[in-house]
Amino acid sequence: MEMGLKDVPGSLLRSLEPISKHGGNIISVLHHRSEADDVKVKLVFQIKDLKSLQLIEKSLKQGAIKISDIIVEGRRYYEKKTISFILIGHVIDSDIRDTIDRINNIGCVSDVDVVMPDPSAKSSVLMKADIDNGDIDNVVDLIKDICEEKKLAFICCLLK
Amino acid sequence: MKKISLIIVGFGVIGAGFARILHEKKDYLRDLGLEYKVVAVCEKEGSIISDEGIDLGDVLRLADGKKLAQHSGWTKKKSMQVLDEVKADIVLELTPGDVKRGEPGYGHIKKALSGGMHVVTSNKSPIALHYGELKRLAEENNLKLRYEAAVGGAIPLLNLRDKCLKINEIKSVYGILNGTTNYVLSKMVEEGISLENALDEARELGIAESDPSYDIDGLDTALKVVILANNLLGRDVSFEDIRVQGIRDITSEAVQLAIKHGYVIKLIGDVGRGEVSPRLIPVEHPLNVSGSLNAVLLDSDVAGELTLIGYGAGARQTASSIFSDLTEVTQFV
Repeated sequence: MEMGLKDVPGSLLRSLEPISKHGGNIISVLHHRSEADDVKVKLVFQIKDLKSLQLIEKSLKQGAIKISDIIVEGRRYYEKKTISFILIGHVIDSDIRDTIDRINNIGCVSDVDVVMPDPSAKSSVLMKADIDNGDIDNVVDLIKDICEEKKLAFICCLLK
Repeated sequence: MKKISLIIVGFGVIGAGFARILHEKKDYLRDLGLEYKVVAVCEKEGSIISDEGIDLGDVLRLADGKKLAQHSGWTKKKSMQVLDEVKADIVLELTPGDVKRGEPGYGHIKKALSGGMHVVTSNKSPIALHYGELKRLAEENNLKLRYEAAVGGAIPLLNLRDKCLKINEIKSVYGILNGTTNYVLSKMVEEGISLENALDEARELGIAESDPSYDIDGLDTALKVVILANNLLGRDVSFEDIRVQGIRDITSEAVQLAIKHGYVIKLIGDVGRGEVSPRLIPVEHPLNVSGSLNAVLLDSDVAGELTLIGYGAGARQTASSIFSDLTEVTQFV
């Protein structure tokens, strides 16, 4: 995890606390002081699952610590991935704008293709959404919740 | 020559299919030094028993005409009584299972193991619903319980892992585990027809049951996911843990929309995620197999990704997996 810390006493300690609090095992800490205001710090730590990482990330953001990058098992956590999925049911009538807005809270819906054979019949909508690698499971869970609430069928792409 | 006595419980499509291959390959098995003698065949209404061994040719001819009761060795004894009274080295439990309780297979397997007989089964319900108990019972009695034919028909998955992938840690397993749904979804793609029409066609060809709910609601796939999770991934999963979504809601418009964007829709059993659901599969993906084929993608730490494709049902195909278990268990007789 790479972050930018304010060059003031105690800021490094404050950045480490959320990691150990949520079960992280810190392996190394590298910091690089430059002429810029922030001190660049690179932390390597082990955690048991992505949920712990999300809690650490949340705590750091609450503490106004800027995270510039996270790499999990060699893959960029913030790297965008596009997932495709189809919703079947009364997708338009159940407020498609609301569905898209809620997905956009985590990712970004970039393509919508609607097939509506008849205004009273079920429609099929294929959407593509760009999502941070680390947020894919959250988005899928969110879409499942929306589908349950709006009585839609959800067909997701394969997720590795 | 090693002589092995067998009891066949269930003489429907799978049981008779197994007996046919056993009869057909008798000389081949003899060349391998194996002589299998069937001492009992159990059906719903009664059983055929013979200590000297049953001529399978005769039994198959009678079974074809649904006249098993005309066999000279026929008795009205039910399977549970036969398993009590007749002793054999290996019991082949080949009945269809009920998805709620796993009966009658569950009772048959327990009775056989308690009576000191090894078990080979093609019956997925008792294995998926009572895995821990049956595995323990087999271990406590120092017996083998094998069930390769319960998942993926002819596709070797469990024995492949035991024999050829021993060094591997299996990271994920997912794929098409039900031939009926794959046939229906393939027809929707190829002919642009509705799910109902594709199902009618499948019923006419005998690929779908008259009530296909068990397949299209994803329950059959879910049972297989439980078996694979417990066996290949070493989990402790029960049927209730699996999230199941079938293919009932799939419309022909959704299928066409998927094709337009380079996908097909397949019912996927995702063993790692404990989930059965329709998924979008890229057209060029190895899991895009059509008709009633099954396809499984197995990802492991040393071998990497393996894709296995084959028929997930059918008498001969299932018999292939039953024999894979039978010859394995024979080593312990």
